[in-house]
Amino acid sequence: MGKVESKHPDPDIPKIIAAWWKTIEKKPQRPTLIIPNVHFTFPTLWGSRGDSPPTPDYSPTVFSTLWRTHETPNNFVPHFSDSVGRAAARTQEYLLFVDPEGKFKPSPAALGEVFLMTYVSRSSHLHMTDSFNCTAMTKQQRVLLGADWVWAVLERPTKNPCIQIAVQILHLSENDRGLAEEHPEVCAESMEMAKMESANRNKAERMVDFCASVGRDCYALFLLFGRKGDPGNIYGVLSNNFSAATGRTKINRALIENFFKGSRYLHTPAGMLQAIITKRPGDPLTLLIKFT
Amino acid sequence: MDLYGKMAATQGTIQGKEGGDQNFDYMFKLLIIGNSSVGKTSFLFRYADDAFTSAFVSTVGIDFKVKTVYKNDKRIKLQIWDTAGQERYRTITTAYYRGAMGFILMYDITNEESFHCVQDWSTQIKTYSWDNAQVVLAGNKCDMEEERVVAADSGRQLAEQLGFEFFETSAKDNINVKQTFECLVDIICDRMSESLDTDPAVTTATPSTKLTDSAPPLQQPACNC
Ligand SMILES: Nc1nc2c(ncn2[C@@H]2O[C@H](COP(=O)(O)OP(=O)(O)OP(=O)(O)O)[C@@H](O)[C@H]2O)c(=O)[nH]1
Ligand SMILES: [Mg+2]
Repeated sequence: MGKVESKHPDPDIPKIIAAWWKTIEKKPQRPTLIIPNVHFTFPTLWGSRGDSPPTPDYSPTVFSTLWRTHETPNNFVPHFSDSVGRAAARTQEYLLFVDPEGKFKPSPAALGEVFLMTYVSRSSHLHMTDSFNCTAMTKQQRVLLGADWVWAVLERPTKNPCIQIAVQILHLSENDRGLAEEHPEVCAESMEMAKMESANRNKAERMVDFCASVGRDCYALFLLFGRKGDPGNIYGVLSNNFSAATGRTKINRALIENFFKGSRYLHTPAGMLQAIITKRPGDPLTLLIKFT
Repeated sequence: MDLYGKMAATQGTIQGKEGGDQNFDYMFKLLIIGNSSVGKTSFLFRYADDAFTSAFVSTVGIDFKVKTVYKNDKRIKLQIWDTAGQERYRTITTAYYRGAMGFILMYDITNEESFHCVQDWSTQIKTYSWDNAQVVLAGNKCDMEEERVVAADSGRQLAEQLGFEFFETSAKDNINVKQTFECLVDIICDRMSESLDTDPAVTTATPSTKLTDSAPPLQQPACNC
């Protein structure tokens, strides 16, 4: 290994990732005891649902999460799964679109908007925003914090976020330029200022920095709209430990794609969320997800 | 007097960049701080876009808007940073205190806790920002008279004690929003001209044609006003 290193001036990304997996990988904790609808028997833990109509809850609840840190009903897991599943399916419909005349091509921004719109309308239809919300970033925040939107598990009764997932979409079409930087015409001036504040970090690194500044309960999720050799599916790499790579190598698309080398277990979106909320606070967690 | 030297440096950098609006004489970096839900985002939204919404979307991390104002034929570009009040973002928000020339420290007149925290926020300013940063205290939501729990006099007294200007404001009914910003700009300008009068070195901070790279941050340790 040492020889390989000395031959290559560039960082050996697969090696870094392999080492990284070894130290931080946590197998998703399997639910040990499942009690359906258990939160109905503990109403005082989270109080009433306020004025949103009660939604029937068919979801199994992971008992172990009850005495972890977060006093919040987790019937949002199936709702999240439903909403994000629809968003991914709809986005996928457009991901592989080819204009027969070869002239028209949907912009990466449009694809991101389709995803987010579908997610938001479904999740508000399901009234899940009391326990799990989604905050779309402003143009300025997208530059400053690197995130396109932020998902959050909310604590009762304060509704303050207790777990967050900052999401950044990586588009395949922008591969050659590395990570997509925003090129807004409208807000050019504001953007200039925002970039000054976070100079010489790419968008991915800015998001990783942001998550690290909040803490271990703030995850970075890179959402890949297509991967090399698989342009029609949506994948994700989620970690609360990307900052471990900062300084050792540049965080960019190549690094993110490399996580898929080898046959890693791919989580469902529901599995991802379940793993996050059942994890012991402070532990590192890195997961691969398939959304479509 | 480091503050104004730095400001000049910032100004030079921006003017050298393409894409930015180069038509300004000064740029002031301002921050709005205070507990979550006191109305910081609403206040900025009212000032910059003259709009208000009653829905509460707690700010994630930090955000900003830009607005240009005029004072004595000078164009002043305000870079206004809207910080998240929630504790979890404290690391990222305090990182932006550096280089800020003015603060709007906000509490909610219907929320006693937010008023009690004013002292702590003031300490944060002292810890993380320049010594010469100017502060205006704003008691927001003054449209909600029935739910008031902080008397206007308490606010005024605290402001006096801390050496801040004071306004009661309403982002909802557009009361004293513009005035708060104007007041802050005025006291920053006053402070700036005081230092221009007394310290010839600061004249490098005046808008001139040669503000390219090297308006050096001034080294005087003490305030000489
Ligand atoms: N009645 C009244 N409501 C206001 C006023 N200003 C803000 N609000 C409401 O107060 C709530 C919180 O306002 P925000 O501006 O989001 O609060 P914030 O200080 O930015 O909160 P964080 O981003 O969490 O730090 C929203 O529901 C606003 O509509 C006001 O002047 N009067
Ligand atoms: Mg806000």
